[in-house]
Formats: sequence, C-alpha cells, structure tokens
Amino acid sequence: MSPPPDPNEHPVSAPPELDPVIHAQARLRVVAALSALREGDRLAFPRLQEILGMTAGNLSVHLRKLEEAGYVTVTKTHSGRTPTTLLCLSRRGRLAFEEYTAAVRALLEPPQSTVDESTLEGS
Amino acid sequence: MALAEGHDVTEDDDAAPPSAADTLRLIREQQDATERSLTPDARLIYWPWGLAWLIGFGLLFLRFGPHGRVYVHLPSWLPLTTLYVLMVVAFVVSGFAGARAAKQVRGQSARKGAMYGWSWFLAFAGFYALAARLSPYLPYEYNGLLWAAGSVGVVGAMYLAGGAVWNTRDLFVLGLWVTLVNIGGVIAGPGWHSLVIAIGAGGGLLVAGAVSRTGRTTR
Repeated sequence: MSPPPDPNEHPVSAPPELDPVIHAQARLRVVAALSALREGDRLAFPRLQEILGMTAGNLSVHLRKLEEAGYVTVTKTHSGRTPTTLLCLSRRGRLAFEEYTAAVRALLEPPQSTVDESTLEGS
Repeated sequence: MALAEGHDVTEDDDAAPPSAADTLRLIREQQDATERSLTPDARLIYWPWGLAWLIGFGLLFLRFGPHGRVYVHLPSWLPLTTLYVLMVVAFVVSGFAGARAAKQVRGQSARKGAMYGWSWFLAFAGFYALAARLSPYLPYEYNGLLWAAGSVGVVGAMYLAGGAVWNTRDLFVLGLWVTLVNIGGVIAGPGWHSLVIAIGAGGGLLVAGAVSRTGRTTR
C-alpha cells in the first residue's frame, strides 16, 4: 500500500500514479462506456459514437491512442458489404481501468487519512 | 455536464477531469448512460403485455363469465380476437425494444438475445400446434381456457427463462408471479381464469413496468 498522496505535492489534475492514457476526459469516457459492455460483447463504432456523442474524427483519435496502449481491441469485419469496426476493452484495458478507478478512489478516501477531502475537491 | 450531448473536438478533450470526485462521477455517469442505451426500456417490454392481458382477458371475463354468465353481450369472437391481436402487438413492440437495444452490439449478448427471441416464437408455435389439435374435442368454455391459460403459461415460462438467461431476479419473480396467477386461475376454472389473469397478471405487468428501473442488471 502506497502512502496517501499529499495533495499539495501532487495536484489531482496530474498525480503521478494515475494512468495518463485513461486520465483524459474523452478517453476516460470511452473506456468507461466500453467497461459497461457485458463480457464477450463488442460494440460497433457508430453505436459507441452515438452513446458518447462525440464526432467520428474525435472518437477515432482517442480510440487509436487506446489501441496503441493495448487497452482497446479493434476488430474490422463486414456485415454484408458494409465494413464494420467492432470495439471492446482488452483484458489489459479492463485491468488498467480497474486500477485507475481504484487509484482515484484512494485519492478521495486515503487510508488513515489526515487529508481533508475538501482540499482534494477544491484543486 | 450532459454526456449525451454533442462533444466537439476541443483542447479540453485531453485535459484531465478537474478533481477525483469529478472523475468518479464522470465514470459513473458514462457507465450508466451506456447501460441505459444497451438495455431495453422495461416499460416497452412489460406495458404492451400488461395492456393486452388487462383488456383481452377483461373482455373475455365480461363475455364468458363463470358458469356461462354473460355480463356484457359482446360478439362471441371479439374477446379472444382482441386478446390475440393485442398479444401480437405486444410481441412486436417488446421485440422491437429488445432489438433496438441490441443494435450494433456483437458477441454473447446478441446471440443470447436472438436465441431468446426465437424461443418465444417457437414456444408459442409448439403450444398453438397442440391447442389447435385438441380444440375440436373440448367443450366451448374449456376450449377458451386451454388457449388462454396455455398462452399465459408460455409467457410465464419465458419470463422465468429470461431471468435465468440474464441473471435478473426481477424478471424471474415476474415469471413466477405470472405462472402462479395462471395456475390459480386454471384451478378456479373457466371464467374466473380470465378475471384472475386480467387483474393479477395484466395489472402485475403494468406495475412491473412502472416500478422497474430500465437497468436490467445491477452492476
């Protein structure tokens, strides 16, 4: 267990232990959305775009970063004659998201904390 | 911040959420929004069936009451025809709601959903084949009971199976309720069965739709 972070030393916006790939609003939303898929399911690109309300270009950029990090599995396939891109979190991505969420929780509720929660929220 | 709204390319996209609390809220909101989108609206699943049963079996009771009593002089073909037309509508509406939620999702859920949808169709086909064969040999009032109780029995069993497939207690409990009400109605006999189903099962489905959260599974 790492010691509770000192908010004065590491501002919450860029704490060193938070995965930088996930710790960006847009990619966090992509990963969170994909984490709501049931085990063994994949989501087509247009449906993910619809759920997130992002532009196709924007979503592509973030998906590429997530794919490069090995967090998202991209499968190109065909439904009839239309090419379809299917997306899901890889096992590594799921793990990274769980670790990220746990790390953020730990920031909010540091074990045996002397840190006032409002200090964190106010940053 | 409204997650469903359009999100343009901005510099902020790469920015971290402002605080840990915001981060958790963002995660929860996005997961909930996704879950809602991928889950059929329970009201569209339950209400069409509830209305079909309340109206259809209500008419059956009024026209074919216990011990041959006629409360309202409707044409004899009307109640069962209404019931079956409304059941077809309910089948289409609930199927459409399920298909829309599963749109562009591939994998296990899609396979489960497709198999479950076909199970409804096939279970009804199996029962109707039997009922059509037996129908000519039964006295009129028991004929009505056969078709009515058989249809409700199939729906109850499909809800029970749905509870097992998606591991949801709500759907299983609903199936249990519909099945028990149906058995109770069959024991009470022709006429009473219609009343028991209209109020117990039809009303139960309307209530189930009203109280259900759209979320199918609790995460």
